[in-house]
Amino acid sequence: MEIEIMENIDDLIKKIQPYFSELSVGDFMSSPVVTIQENQTVLYAKELMRSWRISGLPVVDDEGRLKGIISIEDIVHALENGTLESSISEKMSKNVVFLFKYDKIMDAFKKFEMYGYGRFPVIDEVDHHVIGIVTKQDLMLALLKKLSVLYVHDARREEFVGVDIYRSVPKNVKIERTEFEFQIDYKDISLSGTGASELKRFLISKNFSPKFVKRIAIATYEAETNVVIHSNSTGRIKAYVEPEFVEVRVNDNGKGIENIEMAMRDGYSTAPDYVREYGFGAGMGLSNMKKCADRMIILSSKGNGVFVEMHFWRHEDEN
Amino acid sequence: MKIEALKELGFEMIVEEKGEIFHGYACDLLSEVMGRAKPDTVWFTVQSHINIIAVAVITGIRAIVLCNGHDYDEGTIERSKKEGISLFKTELNTFEAIKKLCNVMQDEIQG
Repeated sequence: MEIEIMENIDDLIKKIQPYFSELSVGDFMSSPVVTIQENQTVLYAKELMRSWRISGLPVVDDEGRLKGIISIEDIVHALENGTLESSISEKMSKNVVFLFKYDKIMDAFKKFEMYGYGRFPVIDEVDHHVIGIVTKQDLMLALLKKLSVLYVHDARREEFVGVDIYRSVPKNVKIERTEFEFQIDYKDISLSGTGASELKRFLISKNFSPKFVKRIAIATYEAETNVVIHSNSTGRIKAYVEPEFVEVRVNDNGKGIENIEMAMRDGYSTAPDYVREYGFGAGMGLSNMKKCADRMIILSSKGNGVFVEMHFWRHEDEN
Repeated sequence: MKIEALKELGFEMIVEEKGEIFHGYACDLLSEVMGRAKPDTVWFTVQSHINIIAVAVITGIRAIVLCNGHDYDEGTIERSKKEGISLFKTELNTFEAIKKLCNVMQDEIQG
């Protein structure tokens, strides 16, 4: 049965190939990509995969060059053998098959077919830095997107359907679960909080109650401020929304937290003096976040940026 | 109490927005304000940079009284108009300013 379907898909792909043959890997790869350094532990990889809900991670060296790949299967093996504390470089697959940005979609298809892997890192031709990743899902979505556009632009359809409302189909095709995204890229601390204010507006527009929204906005404000004060890099706020639940992820590419346990303590802060003069850096940020969120995960280590994930369930009294 | 009543207490109005306030809060550490200020609050502070507007928007603070004769940054004034936050200033220090409010509005405003 499955083989039959696959053959049909192959036929279909052949038929529509002229329409998408120009698509390059760079057009549909997921980027930026979550990577892990080779000297990290398998345990850290497991946590990263869990919180990003992904099934594989490209492994990179200090310079961001591709060294290997670690997948959920490797984690399962490590769990079975009790080797979660081993370093990634011991457990990763070293013979990685990768793609280049300018490879055509058919090259990607061939690789998926030939190797049967679930994902292929995309690397820069020159310096071999990992710039993206292509999973089967990316490939499917690229095709669907192209196909749905194609489909809708086919005027003959209207004869059958009779209404042109179907023109809006591609807009409604939900390709990503992210519903809110904000780029933190300012160097001026006084602008901190812009993202949290935007998120607040967004959540109010989704008809969440002010009380629930405030809790989320405060936690996001603190996370955003941390990126601005401490990371010395750019960052990103993402939010996923369900009727009774909101998930906020804030990550940066900065210097990371050396000692998370210390950082979690009330009143502990590494903020510089000029920042404190503005009323920041009181050492209450992380504990405010913890107080507001129903669940909070922080992943960080020196030099690897900070990743914060916070879950908010709507409480009974937050109607 | 109505926000504009703050004017009658001698606080200089910089940005006027309509609305009512039921609570007061005083602190200069933004995270403390974030964690503790209630909605519909008048906030007494000496911080004047634009970020106080973000703090106000997120917590639901409706009016800010800047104490010790400090001046607001230009960006702060602009943003407060956009976000609908009232701004006042006074030469008094935070304690004196709050004392003045409490003398007149004791029953109408809570911590």
